[in-house]
Amino acid sequence: MQAEPKSLLILGMAGGLARITSGLLLKRFPNIKIVGVDSRPMVREYPENRVTYLRMKYTRGNFEKIFRDYSFDSMLHLGRLSHAQSGPSLNLAQRLDLNLMGTKRILDLCLKYELKKVVVLSTFHVYGALKDNPTFITEDASLRASIKYPELRDVVEMDQLVSGWMWKNQSTISTVILRPCNILGPQINNTMTRYLTTSYAPVPVDYNPMLQFVHEFDMAHSLAESISHVPTGIYNVAPRDAISIREAKKLIGLPIIPVPLFLLEPIARGFNTPFWSFPHYLLDYIKYPCVIDGRSLEKELKQPFRFSIRETLNLLKDN
Amino acid sequence: MFKKLLTKINDASSPETRSHFDSIFAQLEKKYLGKEDPWGLNLEKARKSLERLWPLYKHYFRVRCFGTKNIKDQPYIVVANHSGQIAIDGMLICSMFSTQVEPPRILRPMVERFFTGIPFIGSWAAEGGAVLGDRQNCINLLERGESVLVFPEGVKGIAKDSEDFYDMKKFGRGFFRIALATGIPILPIAVVGAEEFYPLVWHPLKLARKIGLPAMPLTPNLVPLPSPVDIHVGEEFVIPKNLSADAPDNELDEYINKIHHQIQTMLDHGLESRRDFVGNMITDKLTKKMNLKD
Repeated sequence: MQAEPKSLLILGMAGGLARITSGLLLKRFPNIKIVGVDSRPMVREYPENRVTYLRMKYTRGNFEKIFRDYSFDSMLHLGRLSHAQSGPSLNLAQRLDLNLMGTKRILDLCLKYELKKVVVLSTFHVYGALKDNPTFITEDASLRASIKYPELRDVVEMDQLVSGWMWKNQSTISTVILRPCNILGPQINNTMTRYLTTSYAPVPVDYNPMLQFVHEFDMAHSLAESISHVPTGIYNVAPRDAISIREAKKLIGLPIIPVPLFLLEPIARGFNTPFWSFPHYLLDYIKYPCVIDGRSLEKELKQPFRFSIRETLNLLKDN
Repeated sequence: MFKKLLTKINDASSPETRSHFDSIFAQLEKKYLGKEDPWGLNLEKARKSLERLWPLYKHYFRVRCFGTKNIKDQPYIVVANHSGQIAIDGMLICSMFSTQVEPPRILRPMVERFFTGIPFIGSWAAEGGAVLGDRQNCINLLERGESVLVFPEGVKGIAKDSEDFYDMKKFGRGFFRIALATGIPILPIAVVGAEEFYPLVWHPLKLARKIGLPAMPLTPNLVPLPSPVDIHVGEEFVIPKNLSADAPDNELDEYINKIHHQIQTMLDHGLESRRDFVGNMITDKLTKKMNLKD
């Protein structure tokens, strides 16, 4: 098991989560050097000279060059292209191509250049939000997200691709797949953060599912620990409690606009306004519960989560 | 008479009932810490539902409880006969556990998969404590010290024709495998009086299946009749230690039959001491079990 990473590659470096995780790793490991790659421009420069930022697409042919130039011992893959990042401009086929083909290529490079540790960020969306979900879904549950919505195929297939690769190569590379619940925080720009912080986003009047949130700092902490000492495997990332969607909205202090769910789908499909921007295929996540069991990772972490769900939501309100 | 009726309906807001409920929910708030639990229980909403149900529990169905001394302060898999076409019996058992058992607890009824997806009703039930009838879900709840309510007869038990009243259907095995996996004892319960909510019932099962419904009770009275209900709590059934949760069905059946027999005996005894009600006359005539007795 790898204890101290020396040279780390981070994909998706322009995101808020990568920034916080890099900060934690730089603090924890004085000798670490980080190379961050993203196709997006860097919002703020890193003051640290131990961080190199490269703006490029990881599907490009010359991507292998950076593996040759920097002898990485570990890789953190935060570069899954989600709907929130791609927007309506990219269709499912394009997202599938980027997420699946891109990831496959990177994993092959990790094997070729003999990296010791790979950490991939997946999502709890892979389990699917279904009416017959048990509360506290464990990591060995079936991935049913794409049963109803083929738009979630890229999410499920990427997770399955990495898990197949992980078990096949477990003797040579230690791989960790993290499936976090909704990540919230001032530096995170995902669908759920936007939904919860939009003043006039409608809330289902006929359903009130339980949701889980992990604070961006706790998520970054989980990623940093996964790089250094969490053993090979798939782990859910979630606190032990949950909160209903209406209670979460109340806590943030935004008005609750009750709308029957059958009306939300046409709204989500037809409009993309500042008041309501929500992919229709994620509507089931505000209809049925998808509460995951994070105890396996909890056992591996040296420190427990710092923020409870209520604290996380309160911090979001303050921002 | 109208005044008397209004007093009964408003019973939940009377000072005595309010103070009783305050004491119950003060204890429950300590147990659940927050307002909600991960299964969707919402203590505020559960209290509101209980306050609405209370006049029905006390004055309409005039529930009497027997054997509550058998309930200890520990988690249980509560196993009961299912009757009455709609799950009013479950609500009455849960109300008993909240209001007439010390310490009070929210008993978590396991509900059918189709139920959780019904708009409004699914979330209302979850806020009151109901949970999906899934094995893993049940184990997770029991591990957290909760008690669950199971009707092992399933839909077949609740959706009986008049002639089959008080004759329990075969039990499923899932509840016993959960008990074996967790070691949590089973608490048998017999509900007498719920069959008479709808004394005249006919189920066109073929038609129900065609339109995808689990049951389709046809009855002249749309509103349940005010049949007096008796809830009999039996002695706990201790789970055998030498049996694995993955044992073959035939090894389990011996124990499941014992539990079935225990509840059926409690039902038969309960029928002898039930209160007079107009619906009893109908069921006495139509029900095979009653006719066999004569």
